[in-house]
Amino acid sequence: MTISIWRYSHLILAVSSALFIFIATVTGIILALEPISNQIQPFAVDNANDLSLAEALEILHNEYEGVITLEKDENDFVIASIITAEGKNDMFYVNPFTGEKLGELIKKKPIFEFATNLHRSLFLKSTGRFLVGLFSFFLFLIAITGIKLILKRQGGFKRFFAKVVKENFEQYFHIVIGRYTLIPIVIITLTGVFLSLEKFNLLPSDKLVHKNIENTSHAESIGINGFHVFQSYTLNELKSLEFPFSEDEEDYFILNLKDKELYINQYTGRVMSKADISLVSIVSTWSMVLHTGQGTFVWAMVLLLSCIAILFFMYSGFTMTIKRKKESVKIKNKYTKDEAEFILLVGSETGHTQRFAKQFFDALITANHTVYLDQLNKYSTYKIAKHLIVFTATYGEGEAPSNAKNFEGLLKMIRQKQTVKYSVVGFGSLMYPDFCKYAIVVDALLQKQKNFIPNLPLFKINNQSHDAFKTWIQQWNESTSQDLKIQLTKPTVNKKRLKNFEVLNITDCNVDDTFLLQLKSLKKQKFKSGDLLAFYPEEDHIERLYSIGRVEDTILLSIKKHKFGVCSKQLSTQKQHNMIKARIKRNLDFHFPIYAKEVIMIANGTGIAPFLGMMNENTLDIKTHLFWGGRTQQSFQLYSKLIDKAFKKGYLSSFNLAYSREEDEKVYVQDVLMEKEKLICNVLQNKGVIMICGSIAMQNSVLEALNIITESKLQHPLSVFENNEQIKMDCY
Amino acid sequence: MRKINIFKIAPLLIVAVFLLFGFTLKQPSSTYKCMIQMTNYTGEGAYIIISLLNPKGEYEKTLYVQGDDDEWYFDITEWWNFQGKKRTNIDAITGATISGGERAISVIEIADDKIDQGYKVRFETAVEDQEYHADDVEFELTSESVKSKVEGKGFIRYIRLMPQ
Repeated sequence: MTISIWRYSHLILAVSSALFIFIATVTGIILALEPISNQIQPFAVDNANDLSLAEALEILHNEYEGVITLEKDENDFVIASIITAEGKNDMFYVNPFTGEKLGELIKKKPIFEFATNLHRSLFLKSTGRFLVGLFSFFLFLIAITGIKLILKRQGGFKRFFAKVVKENFEQYFHIVIGRYTLIPIVIITLTGVFLSLEKFNLLPSDKLVHKNIENTSHAESIGINGFHVFQSYTLNELKSLEFPFSEDEEDYFILNLKDKELYINQYTGRVMSKADISLVSIVSTWSMVLHTGQGTFVWAMVLLLSCIAILFFMYSGFTMTIKRKKESVKIKNKYTKDEAEFILLVGSETGHTQRFAKQFFDALITANHTVYLDQLNKYSTYKIAKHLIVFTATYGEGEAPSNAKNFEGLLKMIRQKQTVKYSVVGFGSLMYPDFCKYAIVVDALLQKQKNFIPNLPLFKINNQSHDAFKTWIQQWNESTSQDLKIQLTKPTVNKKRLKNFEVLNITDCNVDDTFLLQLKSLKKQKFKSGDLLAFYPEEDHIERLYSIGRVEDTILLSIKKHKFGVCSKQLSTQKQHNMIKARIKRNLDFHFPIYAKEVIMIANGTGIAPFLGMMNENTLDIKTHLFWGGRTQQSFQLYSKLIDKAFKKGYLSSFNLAYSREEDEKVYVQDVLMEKEKLICNVLQNKGVIMICGSIAMQNSVLEALNIITESKLQHPLSVFENNEQIKMDCY
Repeated sequence: MRKINIFKIAPLLIVAVFLLFGFTLKQPSSTYKCMIQMTNYTGEGAYIIISLLNPKGEYEKTLYVQGDDDEWYFDITEWWNFQGKKRTNIDAITGATISGGERAISVIEIADDKIDQGYKVRFETAVEDQEYHADDVEFELTSESVKSKVEGKGFIRYIRLMPQ
């Protein structure tokens, strides 16, 4: 497993602090409920914040024997501490308009008390507080490295919220949820660290200092409702007001406002002294509010969701790590670098590319070749090498993966003595504008070297497609007259998950050896056109996927019988009413976009199957255009009935056919697209969607054609629309 | 001489009778406003226990508790030896902890017959991870001291008492 320093730190920090972060998060979830439950208490009084202090004080004065304090808590509830007619002290939520008691103070529930203690000190007092502060800081670093990793993966700030390539459930949601919660997590952790520092007296003192307290005199005694200072502030600015302890003239009102503290003479109402609240204290208040969510329902909810997200990150992060560990392949070379004729070099960030290289390595070994597998960074001299095969991923914006960073430099320095044939296979995702960019770089670098001659042109593989990899193997076999077979690990199939399907109809094979198979599930199952039907033939248990067209609640498959195809052969011999075992796999990314205004469907060969279903269910009046490429007019006969039906119903607005074997001039589907560039531009500009289904070769040519159109007519590369989820693909 | 003596004794007797009846009906007591002003110490909020001690120096009654999380009470050792055994209900006389530099005003109730009888009032303070002061403030309960200001030795700068 090769990983960059960022990824490594992200992981190491997470592993080392997992236990503490887990405790803090679980208690955090509990604690986030406290402000939420407090906020829904009925102690808030409408418009109370507009009431002036003078009015509020007069009301309280008339209602009670004596008042000790009047304050507002973090929930904006007004609390009065008063002396009753019996001389007893009472403290409660008060309605400042009437002086009426609204209810007893909320007592902190024991569960919150317990969670608070565990959350901030793990019941370890100072030691615990230190640990919590430290791990809060660790979590902050994890968030920062996380942001850095997302930036690298997505390729810059602008693409931070661009579509994420889905490799698997954990990876996808780790990133998607991460993008939205990283900012709250940074806030939670920083405020957490701040609050811990505060407990350790590491911050400048935030105590208020009153310098010159004016001498008191009650020369001009006026009633408190005449106090100018009380008239000028409303309850909105109030934090707390403490009444004079006694009638002694040395005692005064202490008025705490949000930004200052005032001492007020109890007879004249003059402000005797004013102290501004220090910056540290303001930051401290804000930290408290941001960290605990007290007083704000919405922020408390954000905190709650962030905590739940952290738990999910822990789960998904560790699952990913374990999966990668399992998938990562150790290089076990049988031969040294100078004994091997075939040199395989790998540039891999997450280990996926390495796996493909290992499969090729094994295939060569089985064919009794001398092979040497290594990282691109270890490039060196290879005494008897005849072939150099580079498998490389691309990181970020066309950068080298972490174990290939030094390759460029090494290649310039180290010369091979003999000539070596080279082939480059690039791995990447079409969703990035720089698809396989680093592979292109490597290919160009090798081309410049005199001792290297190309064996195969650069081959790009999208989203780790096994089928594309097989295609490349075929090319390789042809170019070197070998017969390598890639050993895909025979997966175990969970037979319980397979369902019975009845054959309703099967057509004979047409000129292209293609036939239609109509199936019905015995049990009611949810599926849509574009979902996949998976077969697992007994021979190899390798999953074969066919795109489903849903026609009148049945499953319609278009299958091409391959000469050596195990599965297609088996299916072609089915008879009506036979039972077949298979499984429906949902393929949410390739469903008909009912939200779009206009849809273009592009397919070749059997790739038309899902579209046959979609076009016959398009009841929403979405303008739909079909482009299909086949060999001859006869090939089209198989589908003409369903297409005519859709066309007559008005579900299909236009269809364009391209035949590659009909006339002297070969016409492919991408050629027809180039003729209809206006339609394509219109659809893309009107937020329409283009769907592509068929072979990888067709996909690549179509994407190239579309890219030419968008770049020349719309001044944007196709990847812009792809990120906008306007391009949907299902190719094999 | 005798006459005068009887005259002198009479009010005392009346008072004594009143007091006797008073005891059987309801203890006459007064409430006092009590302000605690803390020093500018740094750290957590202080737990403060105000107790009434009998002339022998034993705890007689808890007057007020600043600090509402009972799991820290056992840190206030001397008082806890008394309260921990009896566990009287102190909910009605419990307030929040007080931090450095702050002050708090509470209302405490003291039976009138304890005044000028050698009883004492004690303020105990404890702060998490810091010292514990068993007698931060301690003074004899007299008709003078219930309207006075007393300096503290630990976390308390001073306390002030005032009859209601």
